[in-house]
Amino acid sequence: MALPYSVLKVCGDIVFAARGGDIYSFTTGLEYISAWKYPVKQANAPSGLSSEPAASPAPECPPAKRRRVEPEDGSAPAAQAAEPETTEAKNKKPQQQQQQQQKRKTGHQKHTVELPIIQGLYTTTDGRHVVAITGSDKTIWVFEHDGAGNLKQLSQRMMPKRPCSLAITPDNKTILSADKFGDVFALPLIYSEQQPKETDASSAASTPVSTPSTPQSFKPQANELTIHTKRNLKALANQKLGLKHAGSAKTVEPVFEHTLLLGHVSMLTAIAVATKGDSRYYIITADRDEHIRVSRGMPQAHMIEGFCLGHDEFVSRLCIPDTRPEVLISGGGDDDLFVWDWAAGKPLAKTNLLGHVQKLLPAINKIAVIRILACRPRQEDGNGPAWVFAVCERIPALFAYELLQDGTLQHRQTIPTPGNPLDVEFLESSSQLLLAMDPDAAAREEGNVTSSSLRVLSYEPATASWQLADNESGRVKGLPVADDGDAAVLSAEDVQRALYTTESLRKTNSEPAE
Amino acid sequence: MTALKNKRQKREEYRAAIQQDDGATELPRKKFYRQRAHANPFSDHQLIYPPSPDHMDWSSLYPDYVVPEEEDASPAEGQDASAKEDEASLADKPPRRLTQDVEVADIGCGFGGLLIALAPVMPQTLILGLEIRVSVTQYVQDRIKVLRQQNAASPLPQKPYSNIACLRANTMKFLPNFFRKAQLSKIFICFPDPHFKVRKHKQRIVSATLNSEYAYVLRPGGVVYTITDVPDLHEWMVGHFAKHLSFERLTTEEEDADPCVAIMRTETEEGKKVERHSGAKFVACFRRKEELPYEGEVGDVKMLE
Repeated sequence: MALPYSVLKVCGDIVFAARGGDIYSFTTGLEYISAWKYPVKQANAPSGLSSEPAASPAPECPPAKRRRVEPEDGSAPAAQAAEPETTEAKNKKPQQQQQQQQKRKTGHQKHTVELPIIQGLYTTTDGRHVVAITGSDKTIWVFEHDGAGNLKQLSQRMMPKRPCSLAITPDNKTILSADKFGDVFALPLIYSEQQPKETDASSAASTPVSTPSTPQSFKPQANELTIHTKRNLKALANQKLGLKHAGSAKTVEPVFEHTLLLGHVSMLTAIAVATKGDSRYYIITADRDEHIRVSRGMPQAHMIEGFCLGHDEFVSRLCIPDTRPEVLISGGGDDDLFVWDWAAGKPLAKTNLLGHVQKLLPAINKIAVIRILACRPRQEDGNGPAWVFAVCERIPALFAYELLQDGTLQHRQTIPTPGNPLDVEFLESSSQLLLAMDPDAAAREEGNVTSSSLRVLSYEPATASWQLADNESGRVKGLPVADDGDAAVLSAEDVQRALYTTESLRKTNSEPAE
Repeated sequence: MTALKNKRQKREEYRAAIQQDDGATELPRKKFYRQRAHANPFSDHQLIYPPSPDHMDWSSLYPDYVVPEEEDASPAEGQDASAKEDEASLADKPPRRLTQDVEVADIGCGFGGLLIALAPVMPQTLILGLEIRVSVTQYVQDRIKVLRQQNAASPLPQKPYSNIACLRANTMKFLPNFFRKAQLSKIFICFPDPHFKVRKHKQRIVSATLNSEYAYVLRPGGVVYTITDVPDLHEWMVGHFAKHLSFERLTTEEEDADPCVAIMRTETEEGKKVERHSGAKFVACFRRKEELPYEGEVGDVKMLE
């Protein structure tokens, strides 16, 4: 099965659209310009990263994380993904799964390697750099953009944990990476070769990075005074005996410059940068445990300014409208969209979204917001309404709201789409929306997944409404035949797993017996 | 197997009896509340926590400090008028307010020794113990209940032990759900789980990133008290608080002058246990500094003092 376009990013008059691990660039009229392909050998040798000359910061990259192959009820992988690896080794898995795991270890490794999928595309405000994250290999890619749609890869950096979302500071010099482990790291946008590898230790020391240098000679941290039970004392004795072997345990630390700024004890889901006045900016982070945190910008990112609390389920998306920088819109597993005065940590409004979903699909009882877009189409008479669009996972529609002056969201329109939207971007020059979606079953059967994946919506100022343009409008022009990915062979399950990841953040409320 | 079952049954019966007996004067016994000493702070326990501090209902924890209903009515209305109308049911029925806020938190209070020792020392202050283990929390709650009953006849205006309470919570995740910015004056972190393995260091209760949350809930001048018997953990905690720009360490003289330090050394269950084994105890206290002015001119990387 082929992959649809899943991530969009508009940069001036250029549209970047990611499909799988590849990034295509188009004009706003969807004429093909160029493509950047994920290094091919990655497909069967995930640890071959390091041979790439461009950057390869870490000489020894751990192989990509293997995942379950067997179909699951959907909630189990979520629970596991949520828990850092520490608990993974627990013996709670049923016998059967353990056996399957062993089988995987020996044989079907290739099959279980996660697809390299671009999970996010970001641009600097000057449009000269594009940054992408691929989840399966925890890598942040930085490209130079010539302004005409051509990308040149500058660096690839493998993070210690899987990045979930990125933001770029207003000065366009630093990438803020929020990861699955709850930490936010700052990386210089430009990976400097001058940074000699020796300085790694000192730079790590100068920054509050989590582990303050593991000493070469392992020393047990417990002693006879701190532990008392027979079993622990015995373990300590054993530890002391086995000291020589302990030295071989190595932790893989990236060798490039990265600074720990802040962290949650929860999986981070979104990060945004908000500005106040001319020179102040704040880092806003959202996590799976309902929190939205507002911290100061660097170098005071350790200072928490406040929280925006009120979500009852995970938060998955943050959006600060360009035209209303004092307002934060958030969405996640709740039935509502929230609007905040982020600087004060105050809720401004809460707008129901599930109700509108149910008007379309009455059977739905929970939603997961995967995208919030704010835009303001130009109008001849000055400023038109500020629109906010919400996309929910596996819901084939766009929900259009108007952001009113007092911060409330007024539902204006529900636009059914021929497939599940995956991303939406605003084309400012033509006042159109570009939609990337997972086309419906009919298109899939015809083998038109890629070609029917993009659609355009145009704005009609007279009625202040959005209209889905015909199929032809979203047709990409001039795409090389070899890039028409419909031939790609992927199981439907793999595609599903790659495209729909947000609902799995929901907590299942099943606690193992205490 | 039957022995196990009997044990569990006995526990349940014992605890149910304490719960129901409103005249009990005998303190609960720990042996009915034992629980494995470690909990995974990353997993989704079935925790109960308020969505935000404004939603927290403290009235059942500190019944003697609840604002009487008639007084409560008028300010609540004023609040409603000013606040944006929030159709949630919570807004319809705001939680009962207390005459004062909780100001002291014992994070990982264990069996509550520190809480009970602090109660008479700070009789005017509300103290909250937070513990992640269900049974242990239950023990402390039962213990406080019995202590309150024992002192029910006290002539004092605020009855002994009415100022302490215990909650089950995962503070590593949900501290800001309970406390507002700068609400607390003291935080105690006594004999935390040392998490010896490097792989588990992220689970330590003191870390560069968590210290930011402690700084957030502490008012300027507020103090974090730490004590441990593990030298390595002591160094870890000192190192991480020292690096944090919002904290400064108290001098030894200041520590010695603080009565809370002495109580922390001797009254916690772990502290007593360490004494029995004649182990060492390491104390370190850190003061929350005044709020720094915003310093974030784009690209400015001047180091702060």
